[in-house]
Amino acid sequence: MSETAKFTEDILLIAREKAQSIISKAQEDVDRILNEAKSNFLREASEMIKNAETEAEAIRRRQVSEARHALKLREQEEKNKILTEVLDQTRKRASEITVDENRYLQYLTKLSVDGIQEIGLENVVLHLNAGDVKRFGGEKLNREISKQLQKPGKVEFAQQPIDTAGGVIISNTDGTIRIVNTFEQRYEALEARLLIEAGKLLFNE
Amino acid sequence: MSGLETIKIIVGAEKEASRMLEEAQRKATEIRKQIDVTIENQRSEALGSAKQKAAEITERAESEGKSEAEKFERESSGKLRELVTNASSKKESAVKRLVELVLS
Repeated sequence: MSETAKFTEDILLIAREKAQSIISKAQEDVDRILNEAKSNFLREASEMIKNAETEAEAIRRRQVSEARHALKLREQEEKNKILTEVLDQTRKRASEITVDENRYLQYLTKLSVDGIQEIGLENVVLHLNAGDVKRFGGEKLNREISKQLQKPGKVEFAQQPIDTAGGVIISNTDGTIRIVNTFEQRYEALEARLLIEAGKLLFNE
Repeated sequence: MSGLETIKIIVGAEKEASRMLEEAQRKATEIRKQIDVTIENQRSEALGSAKQKAAEITERAESEGKSEAEKFERESSGKLRELVTNASSKKESAVKRLVELVLS
């Protein structure tokens, strides 16, 4: 090989090597960038799946929790229905005591005596409904009350009947102090206790 | 070989070398240009696949949650019926006891 041929061969060899190096460098850069990008979007994809798993758990829990809540409401509704029925029946049954005159007189006496003792005055006025005024307004109730009080004072009956299913209002003579022992008031005062008691009896709560 | 011919051969070789380098630069630019498209394609494929998998996971959870809720409801409805039956059978005695309380 001539000197010139060897020289040109060297020029081309160096150029070939340099060209290969330029392409290899580009390829290396691309591979590096691609790997970095891959690592980023694979992490993004992995997070997407992780989020879906978290959401899936929340979905499962939400559905069971909704079912549990709906059932709790149904249970409460059913209990309320039974409780309301029992309390209505109790109110009705308690009011029926007025039909049994002797038993009711005893009860009315007790309500009156309790009220008189609570008011703590010698002279009191008893307020009854129209039916009870007619039945017990004269001597009957007065006699029963006197039997039970240690120091019976003067008991009067109000002329004006009160609007109640039964029971009595005890007041002082000018009506400024009143003890209300009517069925309605008694029932209202006892309602919370009756509810608790009914809950225990019916649902062991 | 004359001196002029020698120079011509060397200049020719230099030109060829220069063309080789230009060609290499063009290829390198081409390779670099394609990277954005390659990344976008691979990213789109990976995220598309993950999105589909995520949708399957939540869909399965909906279905499993529904079954679980239905199972819970079936079991609990039985207990509720039992509770109502028991309570209903105690209504009369409860009324009696409450009437006693009201009239006491």
